[in-house]
Amino acid sequence: MVEPHVKPTTSTSPWRWLRVIYAVLALAVFAFPGGLVDWLDERNADGWLTAPLALARGVDAASAAVGVKQLGERLRAGFAAAIGERDD
Amino acid sequence: MLFPTIDFGLFFAFSFFLVWGLNPYNTVKKLVLLALSLAFYASWNWRFLLLLLASGAISYLVGLYVDAAAARPFRRVALSVGIALDLAILCYFKYLDFFIAQALNLAHMLGFDLPLGFVNVTLPVAISFLTFHAISYIVDVYRGRIPASRSPLDILLYISFFPHLVAGPIVRAHDFLPQLASPRRAGDFSFSENMLLILGGLFKKMVIANYLAVRFVDPVFTDPSQFSRFDLIMAVYAYAVQIYADFSAYTDIAIGVAALLGYRFPQNFNQPYRALGIGDFWRRWHMTLSAWLRDYLYIPLGGNRHGALMTARNLLLTMVLGGLWHGANWTFLIWGAMHGCALVADHAWRRSAAFARWGSGPMVRVVDWALTFNFVCLTWIFFRAPSLDAATQFLAGMWTDNGAASTMPAVVLPLIACGALTQIAPSRARAAIGLALDNRGALAQAAFGFVLLYAIVVMAPPGSAPFIYFQF
Repeated sequence: MVEPHVKPTTSTSPWRWLRVIYAVLALAVFAFPGGLVDWLDERNADGWLTAPLALARGVDAASAAVGVKQLGERLRAGFAAAIGERDD
Repeated sequence: MLFPTIDFGLFFAFSFFLVWGLNPYNTVKKLVLLALSLAFYASWNWRFLLLLLASGAISYLVGLYVDAAAARPFRRVALSVGIALDLAILCYFKYLDFFIAQALNLAHMLGFDLPLGFVNVTLPVAISFLTFHAISYIVDVYRGRIPASRSPLDILLYISFFPHLVAGPIVRAHDFLPQLASPRRAGDFSFSENMLLILGGLFKKMVIANYLAVRFVDPVFTDPSQFSRFDLIMAVYAYAVQIYADFSAYTDIAIGVAALLGYRFPQNFNQPYRALGIGDFWRRWHMTLSAWLRDYLYIPLGGNRHGALMTARNLLLTMVLGGLWHGANWTFLIWGAMHGCALVADHAWRRSAAFARWGSGPMVRVVDWALTFNFVCLTWIFFRAPSLDAATQFLAGMWTDNGAASTMPAVVLPLIACGALTQIAPSRARAAIGLALDNRGALAQAAFGFVLLYAIVVMAPPGSAPFIYFQF
Protein backbone atom coordinates (compact mmCIF):
# COMPACT_ATOMS: atom_id res chain seq x y z
CA MET A 1 0.00 0.00 0.00
CA VAL A 2 1.36 3.39 -0.96
CA GLU A 3 1.32 5.86 1.89
CA PRO A 4 -0.22 9.23 1.08
CA HIS A 5 2.34 11.96 0.53
CA VAL A 6 2.21 14.44 3.39
CA LYS A 7 3.46 17.85 2.39
CA PRO A 8 5.40 19.63 5.10
CA THR A 9 3.50 22.75 6.07
CA THR A 10 6.52 24.91 6.77
CA SER A 11 8.14 24.71 3.36
CA THR A 12 5.50 25.14 0.69
CA SER A 13 5.73 28.90 0.24
CA PRO A 14 8.29 30.28 -2.18
CA TRP A 15 8.47 33.43 -0.02
CA ARG A 16 9.62 31.31 2.90
CA TRP A 17 12.20 29.77 0.55
CA LEU A 18 13.23 33.27 -0.47
CA ARG A 19 13.82 34.27 3.15
CA VAL A 20 15.99 31.19 3.72
CA ILE A 21 18.00 31.69 0.51
CA TYR A 22 18.60 35.37 1.17
CA ALA A 23 19.48 34.65 4.80
CA VAL A 24 22.04 32.00 3.78
CA LEU A 25 23.58 34.33 1.16
CA ALA A 26 23.64 37.29 3.58
CA LEU A 27 25.30 35.19 6.29
CA ALA A 28 27.85 33.93 3.77
CA VAL A 29 28.66 37.52 2.77
CA PHE A 30 29.03 38.48 6.43
CA ALA A 31 31.27 35.48 7.11
CA PHE A 32 33.46 36.00 4.03
CA PRO A 33 33.00 39.66 3.04
CA GLY A 34 36.27 39.93 1.13
CA GLY A 35 34.94 38.02 -1.88
CA LEU A 36 32.03 40.38 -2.52
CA VAL A 37 34.15 43.50 -1.95
CA ASP A 38 36.73 42.28 -4.49
CA TRP A 39 33.99 41.26 -6.93
CA LEU A 40 32.35 44.69 -6.77
CA ASP A 41 35.69 46.48 -6.86
CA GLU A 42 36.72 44.68 -10.06
CA ARG A 43 33.50 45.79 -11.76
CA ASN A 44 33.46 49.36 -10.53
CA ALA A 45 35.66 50.92 -13.18
CA ASP A 46 32.82 53.26 -14.24
CA GLY A 47 31.82 54.06 -10.67
CA TRP A 48 28.26 52.79 -11.02
CA LEU A 49 28.73 50.27 -8.21
CA THR A 50 29.98 52.82 -5.68
CA ALA A 51 26.94 52.53 -3.41
CA PRO A 52 26.90 48.70 -3.21
CA LEU A 53 30.67 48.75 -2.82
CA ALA A 54 30.39 51.14 0.12
CA LEU A 55 27.75 48.85 1.65
CA ALA A 56 29.94 45.78 1.13
CA ARG A 57 32.88 47.59 2.74
CA GLY A 58 30.61 48.43 5.67
CA VAL A 59 29.72 44.75 6.03
CA ASP A 60 33.42 43.92 5.75
CA ALA A 61 34.25 46.36 8.57
CA ALA A 62 31.42 45.05 10.76
CA SER A 63 32.49 41.44 10.15
CA ALA A 64 36.09 42.31 11.00
CA ALA A 65 35.01 44.25 14.12
CA VAL A 66 33.34 41.19 15.63
CA GLY A 67 36.09 38.80 14.47
CA VAL A 68 33.94 36.77 12.05
CA LYS A 69 36.03 37.70 9.02
CA GLN A 70 39.28 36.76 10.74
CA LEU A 71 37.80 33.44 11.88
CA GLY A 72 36.88 32.53 8.30
CA GLU A 73 40.32 33.52 7.04
CA ARG A 74 42.04 31.54 9.79
CA LEU A 75 39.96 28.45 9.07
CA ARG A 76 40.61 28.69 5.34
CA ALA A 77 44.35 29.12 5.88
CA GLY A 78 44.38 26.33 8.45
CA PHE A 79 42.57 23.92 6.17
CA ALA A 80 44.81 24.81 3.22
CA ALA A 81 47.91 24.28 5.37
CA ALA A 82 46.54 20.99 6.73
CA ILE A 83 46.23 19.52 3.26
CA GLY A 84 49.52 20.99 2.12
CA GLU A 85 48.02 23.60 -0.18
CA ARG A 86 49.87 26.56 1.38
CA ASP A 87 52.55 26.97 4.01
CA ASP A 88 50.74 29.54 6.14
CA MET B 1 28.79 32.71 -15.56
CA LEU B 2 29.79 29.56 -13.67
CA PHE B 3 27.50 28.07 -11.04
CA PRO B 4 29.93 28.27 -8.08
CA THR B 5 30.59 32.01 -8.39
CA ILE B 6 29.34 35.24 -6.85
CA ASP B 7 28.00 36.18 -10.30
CA PHE B 8 25.66 33.20 -10.35
CA GLY B 9 24.72 33.56 -6.66
CA LEU B 10 23.50 37.10 -7.32
CA PHE B 11 21.90 36.11 -10.63
CA PHE B 12 19.99 33.27 -8.97
CA ALA B 13 18.85 35.38 -6.00
CA PHE B 14 17.49 37.98 -8.46
CA SER B 15 15.92 35.35 -10.74
CA PHE B 16 14.25 33.56 -7.84
CA PHE B 17 12.56 36.75 -6.66
CA LEU B 18 11.37 37.67 -10.17
CA VAL B 19 10.16 34.21 -11.16
CA TRP B 20 8.05 33.55 -8.07
CA GLY B 21 6.86 37.16 -7.98
CA LEU B 22 5.53 36.79 -11.52
CA ASN B 23 4.29 33.21 -11.06
CA PRO B 24 0.56 34.11 -11.22
CA TYR B 25 1.19 35.82 -14.61
CA ASN B 26 2.52 32.79 -16.45
CA THR B 27 3.22 34.37 -19.85
CA VAL B 28 5.03 37.34 -18.33
CA LYS B 29 6.99 34.97 -16.10
CA LYS B 30 8.04 32.89 -19.12
CA LEU B 31 9.12 36.03 -20.97
CA VAL B 32 11.24 37.04 -17.99
CA LEU B 33 12.68 33.51 -17.70
CA LEU B 34 13.60 33.64 -21.38
CA ALA B 35 15.26 37.05 -20.93
CA LEU B 36 17.19 35.71 -17.92
CA SER B 37 18.26 32.63 -19.89
CA LEU B 38 19.44 34.74 -22.83
CA ALA B 39 21.34 37.01 -20.42
CA PHE B 40 22.92 33.92 -18.83
CA TYR B 41 24.05 32.69 -22.27
CA ALA B 42 25.19 36.15 -23.34
CA SER B 43 27.48 36.30 -20.31
CA TRP B 44 29.87 34.04 -22.29
CA ASN B 45 29.49 35.57 -25.73
CA TRP B 46 26.48 37.65 -26.73
CA ARG B 47 27.15 37.07 -30.43
CA PHE B 48 26.07 33.44 -30.09
CA LEU B 49 22.60 34.53 -29.01
CA LEU B 50 21.76 34.49 -32.71
CA LEU B 51 22.64 30.82 -32.79
CA LEU B 52 20.28 30.13 -29.91
CA LEU B 53 17.49 32.09 -31.57
CA ALA B 54 18.11 30.36 -34.92
CA SER B 55 17.97 26.95 -33.27
CA GLY B 56 14.70 27.91 -31.58
CA ALA B 57 13.23 29.21 -34.84
CA ILE B 58 14.15 26.04 -36.74
CA SER B 59 12.62 23.86 -34.03
CA TYR B 60 9.44 25.92 -33.88
CA LEU B 61 8.82 26.04 -37.64
CA VAL B 62 9.81 22.44 -38.36
CA GLY B 63 7.76 21.28 -35.37
CA LEU B 64 4.66 23.02 -36.69
CA TYR B 65 5.08 21.40 -40.10
CA VAL B 66 5.92 17.83 -39.06
CA ASP B 67 3.25 17.57 -36.34
CA ALA B 68 1.87 14.01 -36.58
CA ALA B 69 -1.68 15.28 -36.08
CA ALA B 70 -1.46 17.67 -39.06
CA ALA B 71 -0.75 14.88 -41.61
CA ARG B 72 0.97 17.21 -44.07
CA PRO B 73 2.80 15.89 -47.17
CA PHE B 74 6.57 15.38 -47.08
CA ARG B 75 6.66 15.37 -43.27
CA ARG B 76 9.63 13.03 -43.30
CA VAL B 77 11.51 15.32 -45.72
CA ALA B 78 10.77 18.34 -43.51
CA LEU B 79 11.98 16.42 -40.46
CA SER B 80 15.18 15.47 -42.28
CA VAL B 81 15.75 19.09 -43.30
CA GLY B 82 15.24 20.22 -39.69
CA ILE B 83 17.66 17.64 -38.32
CA ALA B 84 20.16 18.43 -41.09
CA LEU B 85 20.02 22.15 -40.25
CA ASP B 86 20.61 21.46 -36.55
CA LEU B 87 23.48 19.10 -37.36
CA ALA B 88 24.93 21.52 -39.91
CA ILE B 89 25.23 24.22 -37.23
CA LEU B 90 26.87 21.71 -34.87
CA CYS B 91 29.25 20.41 -37.56
CA TYR B 92 30.28 23.87 -38.70
CA PHE B 93 31.30 25.03 -35.25
CA LYS B 94 32.52 21.77 -33.77
CA TYR B 95 33.75 19.40 -36.46
CA LEU B 96 34.62 21.32 -39.62
CA ASP B 97 38.25 22.00 -38.68
CA PHE B 98 38.65 18.38 -37.56
CA PHE B 99 37.38 17.04 -40.89
CA ILE B 100 39.50 19.55 -42.82
CA ALA B 101 42.57 18.40 -40.86
CA GLN B 102 41.80 14.74 -41.67
CA ALA B 103 41.29 15.56 -45.35
CA LEU B 104 44.58 17.50 -45.49
CA ASN B 105 46.43 14.66 -43.74
CA LEU B 106 45.00 12.10 -46.13
CA ALA B 107 45.83 14.23 -49.16
CA HIS B 108 49.37 14.72 -47.85
CA MET B 109 49.80 10.96 -47.42
CA LEU B 110 48.60 10.41 -50.98
CA GLY B 111 51.06 13.02 -52.21
CA PHE B 112 48.92 15.95 -53.29
CA ASP B 113 47.72 19.22 -51.77
CA LEU B 114 44.12 20.22 -51.20
CA PRO B 115 43.14 23.90 -51.49
CA LEU B 116 41.51 23.85 -48.02
CA GLY B 117 41.99 26.19 -45.08
CA PHE B 118 40.82 25.99 -41.48
CA VAL B 119 37.75 28.05 -40.52
CA ASN B 120 39.05 28.71 -36.97
CA VAL B 121 35.71 29.57 -35.38
CA THR B 122 35.15 29.87 -31.63
CA LEU B 123 33.17 26.92 -30.30
CA PRO B 124 29.95 28.30 -28.81
CA VAL B 125 29.26 27.18 -25.26
CA ALA B 126 26.57 24.48 -25.01
CA ILE B 127 26.22 23.94 -28.76
CA SER B 128 25.91 20.16 -28.37
CA PHE B 129 23.24 20.40 -25.69
CA LEU B 130 21.33 22.92 -27.79
CA THR B 131 21.37 20.51 -30.71
CA PHE B 132 20.19 17.60 -28.57
CA HIS B 133 17.23 19.56 -27.27
CA ALA B 134 16.30 20.86 -30.71
CA ILE B 135 16.43 17.43 -32.38
CA SER B 136 14.59 15.76 -29.52
CA TYR B 137 11.70 18.22 -29.87
CA ILE B 138 11.14 17.90 -33.62
CA VAL B 139 11.52 14.10 -33.61
CA ASP B 140 9.05 13.73 -30.73
CA VAL B 141 6.56 15.95 -32.57
CA TYR B 142 7.07 13.92 -35.76
CA ARG B 143 6.51 10.66 -33.86
CA GLY B 144 3.32 12.05 -32.33
CA ARG B 145 4.67 11.79 -28.81
CA ILE B 146 3.85 15.46 -28.21
CA PRO B 147 1.82 17.96 -30.22
CA ALA B 148 3.71 20.80 -31.86
CA SER B 149 3.80 23.82 -29.61
CA ARG B 150 1.99 26.90 -30.97
CA SER B 151 4.09 29.11 -28.73
CA PRO B 152 7.53 30.20 -30.00
CA LEU B 153 8.15 31.48 -26.48
CA ASP B 154 7.75 27.96 -25.03
CA ILE B 155 10.09 26.44 -27.61
CA LEU B 156 12.76 29.08 -27.07
CA LEU B 157 12.47 28.68 -23.33
CA TYR B 158 12.65 24.89 -23.62
CA ILE B 159 15.89 25.14 -25.58
CA SER B 160 17.49 27.96 -23.61
CA PHE B 161 16.26 27.50 -20.00
CA PHE B 162 19.38 28.53 -18.12
CA PRO B 163 19.75 25.70 -15.55
CA HIS B 164 20.18 23.03 -18.28
CA LEU B 165 21.49 25.26 -21.05
CA VAL B 166 25.21 24.71 -20.74
CA ALA B 167 25.76 21.10 -19.68
CA GLY B 168 22.39 19.42 -19.27
CA PRO B 169 20.75 17.30 -18.04
CA ILE B 170 19.09 16.76 -21.42
CA VAL B 171 15.44 17.49 -20.74
CA ARG B 172 12.82 16.00 -23.03
CA ALA B 173 10.20 18.29 -24.53
CA HIS B 174 7.37 16.01 -23.40
CA ASP B 175 8.60 16.39 -19.81
CA PHE B 176 9.30 20.10 -19.89
CA LEU B 177 6.72 21.78 -22.17
CA PRO B 178 3.72 20.72 -20.07
CA GLN B 179 5.42 22.37 -17.08
CA LEU B 180 5.28 25.70 -18.95
CA ALA B 181 1.53 25.52 -19.39
CA SER B 182 0.52 26.83 -15.98
CA PRO B 183 1.92 28.61 -12.91
CA ARG B 184 4.15 26.40 -10.79
CA ARG B 185 3.41 25.20 -7.26
CA ALA B 186 6.18 25.38 -4.68
CA GLY B 187 4.41 22.63 -2.73
CA ASP B 188 5.36 20.09 -5.41
CA PHE B 189 9.02 20.34 -4.38
CA SER B 190 11.03 19.82 -1.22
CA PHE B 191 12.97 23.00 -0.55
CA SER B 192 15.47 21.42 1.82
CA GLU B 193 16.17 18.43 -0.42
CA ASN B 194 16.96 20.71 -3.33
CA MET B 195 19.04 23.02 -1.15
CA LEU B 196 21.04 19.95 -0.11
CA LEU B 197 21.36 18.91 -3.75
CA ILE B 198 22.82 22.31 -4.65
CA LEU B 199 25.17 22.41 -1.65
CA GLY B 200 26.26 18.82 -2.30
CA GLY B 201 27.00 19.82 -5.90
CA LEU B 202 29.03 22.79 -4.71
CA PHE B 203 31.06 20.50 -2.42
CA LYS B 204 31.72 17.98 -5.18
CA LYS B 205 32.82 20.69 -7.62
CA MET B 206 34.59 23.20 -5.39
CA VAL B 207 36.35 20.78 -3.08
CA ILE B 208 36.68 17.29 -4.60
CA ALA B 209 36.94 18.08 -8.34
CA ASN B 210 38.94 21.30 -8.03
CA TYR B 211 41.58 19.91 -5.66
CA LEU B 212 41.99 16.67 -7.60
CA ALA B 213 42.36 18.56 -10.86
CA VAL B 214 44.76 21.25 -9.69
CA ARG B 215 46.89 19.26 -7.26
CA PHE B 216 47.28 16.00 -9.13
CA VAL B 217 45.36 15.10 -12.28
CA ASP B 218 46.22 18.10 -14.47
CA PRO B 219 50.00 18.00 -13.81
CA VAL B 220 50.16 14.22 -14.37
CA PHE B 221 48.22 14.32 -17.65
CA THR B 222 50.19 17.35 -18.84
CA ASP B 223 53.54 15.54 -18.65
CA PRO B 224 53.20 11.86 -17.65
CA SER B 225 56.90 11.19 -18.28
CA GLN B 226 57.75 13.14 -15.10
CA PHE B 227 55.71 10.86 -12.84
CA SER B 228 56.10 7.35 -11.49
CA ARG B 229 54.02 4.39 -12.61
CA PHE B 230 52.17 4.46 -9.29
CA ASP B 231 51.31 8.15 -9.81
CA LEU B 232 49.99 7.47 -13.29
CA ILE B 233 47.75 4.66 -12.06
CA MET B 234 46.48 6.78 -9.16
CA ALA B 235 45.91 9.72 -11.54
CA VAL B 236 43.55 7.53 -13.58
CA TYR B 237 41.48 6.69 -10.48
CA ALA B 238 41.67 10.32 -9.35
CA TYR B 239 40.38 11.47 -12.74
CA ALA B 240 37.54 8.96 -12.52
CA VAL B 241 36.51 10.62 -9.26
CA GLN B 242 37.16 14.12 -10.60
CA ILE B 243 35.03 13.79 -13.71
CA TYR B 244 32.18 12.22 -11.74
CA ALA B 245 32.37 14.92 -9.04
CA ASP B 246 32.61 17.68 -11.65
CA PHE B 247 29.86 16.59 -14.02
CA SER B 248 27.41 15.25 -11.44
CA ALA B 249 27.94 18.48 -9.48
CA TYR B 250 26.84 20.52 -12.48
CA THR B 251 23.69 18.48 -13.02
CA ASP B 252 22.90 18.38 -9.28
CA ILE B 253 23.06 22.17 -9.13
CA ALA B 254 21.05 22.45 -12.36
CA ILE B 255 18.34 20.10 -11.05
CA GLY B 256 18.24 21.89 -7.70
CA VAL B 257 18.11 25.38 -9.20
CA ALA B 258 15.36 24.35 -11.63
CA ALA B 259 13.36 22.80 -8.77
CA LEU B 260 13.68 25.95 -6.67
CA LEU B 261 12.24 27.84 -9.66
CA GLY B 262 9.41 25.29 -9.85
CA TYR B 263 10.57 23.06 -12.74
CA ARG B 264 11.39 19.36 -12.58
CA PHE B 265 14.44 17.93 -14.39
CA PRO B 266 15.29 14.24 -14.82
CA GLN B 267 17.98 12.47 -12.80
CA ASN B 268 21.33 12.29 -14.61
CA PHE B 269 23.55 10.10 -12.39
CA ASN B 270 22.85 7.10 -10.20
CA GLN B 271 26.08 6.03 -8.48
CA PRO B 272 27.65 4.91 -11.79
CA TYR B 273 30.80 3.37 -10.34
CA ARG B 274 28.68 0.69 -8.66
CA ALA B 275 27.68 -0.62 -12.08
CA LEU B 276 27.79 -4.35 -12.81
CA GLY B 277 28.57 -4.36 -16.52
CA ILE B 278 28.99 -1.61 -19.11
CA GLY B 279 25.29 -1.66 -20.00
CA ASP B 280 24.52 -0.99 -16.34
CA PHE B 281 27.17 1.76 -16.29
CA TRP B 282 25.40 3.60 -19.10
CA ARG B 283 22.09 3.29 -17.29
CA ARG B 284 23.73 5.13 -14.38
CA TRP B 285 26.17 7.59 -16.04
CA HIS B 286 24.86 10.66 -17.90
CA MET B 287 21.50 8.91 -17.97
CA THR B 288 19.80 11.57 -20.09
CA LEU B 289 22.47 11.27 -22.80
CA SER B 290 22.21 7.46 -22.77
CA ALA B 291 18.44 7.68 -23.14
CA TRP B 292 18.82 10.27 -25.92
CA LEU B 293 21.30 8.09 -27.84
CA ARG B 294 19.02 5.07 -27.37
CA ASP B 295 15.84 6.82 -28.56
CA TYR B 296 17.22 8.99 -31.38
CA LEU B 297 20.13 6.92 -32.68
CA TYR B 298 20.25 3.27 -31.54
CA ILE B 299 16.56 2.48 -32.08
CA PRO B 300 16.29 4.31 -35.46
CA LEU B 301 19.39 2.37 -36.57
CA GLY B 302 17.43 -0.83 -35.90
CA GLY B 303 18.22 -1.41 -32.22
CA ASN B 304 18.22 -5.13 -31.41
CA ARG B 305 15.50 -6.01 -33.90
CA HIS B 306 17.63 -7.53 -36.69
CA GLY B 307 19.79 -10.20 -35.12
CA ALA B 308 23.00 -10.31 -33.10
CA LEU B 309 25.29 -8.95 -35.81
CA MET B 310 23.17 -5.89 -36.56
CA THR B 311 22.66 -5.28 -32.84
CA ALA B 312 26.43 -5.27 -32.38
CA ARG B 313 26.85 -2.88 -35.31
CA ASN B 314 24.19 -0.54 -33.92
CA LEU B 315 25.71 -0.55 -30.44
CA LEU B 316 29.16 0.15 -31.82
CA LEU B 317 27.97 2.91 -34.15
CA THR B 318 25.92 4.55 -31.41
CA MET B 319 28.84 4.64 -28.99
CA VAL B 320 31.36 5.82 -31.60
CA LEU B 321 29.05 8.72 -32.54
CA GLY B 322 28.37 9.32 -28.84
CA GLY B 323 32.13 9.48 -28.30
CA LEU B 324 32.62 11.84 -31.21
CA TRP B 325 29.84 14.05 -29.81
CA HIS B 326 32.16 14.87 -26.90
CA GLY B 327 34.67 16.49 -29.21
CA ALA B 328 36.36 16.49 -32.58
CA ASN B 329 39.32 14.36 -31.56
CA TRP B 330 40.45 10.79 -32.21
CA THR B 331 40.71 10.27 -28.46
CA PHE B 332 36.93 10.64 -28.05
CA LEU B 333 36.31 8.39 -31.02
CA ILE B 334 38.48 5.67 -29.50
CA TRP B 335 36.85 6.19 -26.11
CA GLY B 336 33.44 5.69 -27.72
CA ALA B 337 34.62 2.66 -29.72
CA MET B 338 36.02 1.03 -26.55
CA HIS B 339 32.68 1.48 -24.82
CA GLY B 340 30.88 0.22 -27.91
CA CYS B 341 32.98 -2.98 -28.02
CA ALA B 342 32.47 -3.47 -24.28
CA LEU B 343 28.72 -3.03 -24.69
CA VAL B 344 28.67 -5.67 -27.43
CA ALA B 345 30.59 -8.08 -25.17
CA ASP B 346 28.37 -7.22 -22.20
CA HIS B 347 25.26 -7.78 -24.32
CA ALA B 348 26.51 -11.21 -25.43
CA TRP B 349 27.57 -12.21 -21.88
CA ARG B 350 24.21 -11.35 -20.37
CA ARG B 351 22.42 -13.46 -22.95
CA SER B 352 24.73 -16.47 -22.57
CA ALA B 353 23.98 -19.77 -20.86
CA ALA B 354 26.98 -19.19 -18.58
CA PHE B 355 25.48 -15.95 -17.28
CA ALA B 356 22.12 -17.62 -16.70
CA ARG B 357 23.86 -20.30 -14.64
CA TRP B 358 26.46 -18.31 -12.67
CA GLY B 359 25.65 -14.64 -13.25
CA SER B 360 23.89 -14.01 -9.95
CA GLY B 361 26.60 -15.57 -7.77
CA PRO B 362 28.45 -13.23 -5.39
CA MET B 363 31.91 -13.94 -6.84
CA VAL B 364 30.75 -13.30 -10.38
CA ARG B 365 29.17 -10.02 -9.25
CA VAL B 366 32.41 -8.90 -7.59
CA VAL B 367 34.41 -9.75 -10.72
CA ASP B 368 31.74 -8.03 -12.85
CA TRP B 369 32.04 -4.85 -10.77
CA ALA B 370 35.86 -4.86 -10.71
CA LEU B 371 36.10 -5.42 -14.46
CA THR B 372 33.54 -2.74 -15.22
CA PHE B 373 35.06 -0.13 -12.92
CA ASN B 374 38.63 -0.69 -14.08
CA PHE B 375 37.61 -0.78 -17.72
CA VAL B 376 35.76 2.54 -17.36
CA CYS B 377 38.82 4.03 -15.62
CA LEU B 378 41.08 2.78 -18.42
CA THR B 379 38.89 4.43 -21.05
CA TRP B 380 39.05 7.73 -19.13
CA ILE B 381 42.72 7.97 -20.20
CA PHE B 382 41.59 8.52 -23.79
CA PHE B 383 38.85 10.87 -22.65
CA ARG B 384 41.24 13.03 -20.60
CA ALA B 385 44.38 12.95 -22.76
CA PRO B 386 44.69 15.97 -25.08
CA SER B 387 45.78 13.81 -28.03
CA LEU B 388 46.25 10.23 -29.13
CA ASP B 389 50.03 10.58 -28.70
CA ALA B 390 49.54 11.81 -25.14
CA ALA B 391 47.22 8.88 -24.38
CA THR B 392 49.70 6.30 -25.72
CA GLN B 393 52.53 8.01 -23.81
CA PHE B 394 50.42 7.77 -20.66
CA LEU B 395 49.68 4.09 -21.24
CA ALA B 396 53.37 3.40 -21.92
CA GLY B 397 54.22 5.10 -18.61
CA MET B 398 51.77 2.81 -16.81
CA TRP B 399 53.37 -0.22 -18.44
CA THR B 400 57.06 0.55 -17.87
CA ASP B 401 58.37 1.94 -14.59
CA ASN B 402 60.65 4.97 -15.09
CA GLY B 403 62.05 4.63 -11.57
CA ALA B 404 60.72 8.01 -10.41
CA ALA B 405 59.51 8.32 -6.83
CA SER B 406 55.84 8.99 -6.18
CA THR B 407 54.94 12.64 -5.73
CA MET B 408 51.23 12.14 -5.18
CA PRO B 409 49.99 14.70 -2.62
CA ALA B 410 48.56 13.23 0.58
CA VAL B 411 45.21 14.94 -0.02
CA VAL B 412 44.48 12.76 -3.06
CA LEU B 413 43.58 9.59 -1.15
CA PRO B 414 41.02 11.27 1.17
CA LEU B 415 39.48 12.94 -1.89
CA ILE B 416 39.22 9.62 -3.71
CA ALA B 417 37.67 8.17 -0.54
CA CYS B 418 35.11 11.03 -0.57
CA GLY B 419 34.32 10.13 -4.18
CA ALA B 420 33.88 6.48 -3.18
CA LEU B 421 31.50 7.55 -0.40
CA THR B 422 29.23 9.24 -2.93
CA GLN B 423 28.87 5.85 -4.63
CA ILE B 424 27.90 3.88 -1.53
CA ALA B 425 25.89 6.42 0.44
CA PRO B 426 22.20 5.42 0.66
CA SER B 427 20.44 7.12 -2.25
CA ARG B 428 17.43 8.03 -0.07
CA ALA B 429 19.50 9.78 2.60
CA ARG B 430 19.17 13.23 1.01
CA ALA B 431 15.40 12.90 0.63
CA ALA B 432 15.06 11.78 4.25
CA ILE B 433 17.18 14.65 5.60
CA GLY B 434 15.35 17.07 3.31
CA LEU B 435 11.97 15.93 4.54
CA ALA B 436 13.05 16.20 8.17
CA LEU B 437 14.40 19.69 7.55
CA ASP B 438 11.26 20.75 5.66
CA ASN B 439 9.30 20.05 8.81
CA ARG B 440 11.47 22.45 10.82
CA GLY B 441 11.21 26.23 10.66
CA ALA B 442 12.92 28.59 8.26
CA LEU B 443 15.51 29.39 10.94
CA ALA B 444 16.68 25.78 11.12
CA GLN B 445 16.83 25.56 7.32
CA ALA B 446 18.85 28.77 7.07
CA ALA B 447 21.22 27.68 9.83
CA PHE B 448 21.73 24.25 8.25
CA GLY B 449 22.27 25.74 4.79
CA PHE B 450 24.70 28.35 6.11
CA VAL B 451 26.78 25.85 8.10
CA LEU B 452 27.18 23.64 5.02
CA LEU B 453 28.03 26.59 2.77
CA TYR B 454 30.50 27.91 5.36
CA ALA B 455 32.26 24.54 5.48
CA ILE B 456 32.46 24.39 1.69
CA VAL B 457 33.95 27.90 1.44
CA VAL B 458 36.48 27.08 4.17
CA MET B 459 37.61 23.94 2.31
CA ALA B 460 37.48 25.17 -1.29
CA PRO B 461 40.62 26.41 -3.02
CA PRO B 462 40.53 30.02 -4.31
CA GLY B 463 38.86 30.46 -7.71
CA SER B 464 36.94 27.84 -9.64
CA ALA B 465 37.91 25.97 -12.81
CA PRO B 466 35.23 25.67 -15.52
CA PHE B 467 33.16 22.50 -15.53
CA ILE B 468 34.65 19.77 -17.75
CA TYR B 469 31.44 19.41 -19.76
CA PHE B 470 31.40 23.11 -20.72
CA GLN B 471 33.66 22.24 -23.65
CA PHE B 472 31.10 19.80 -25.09
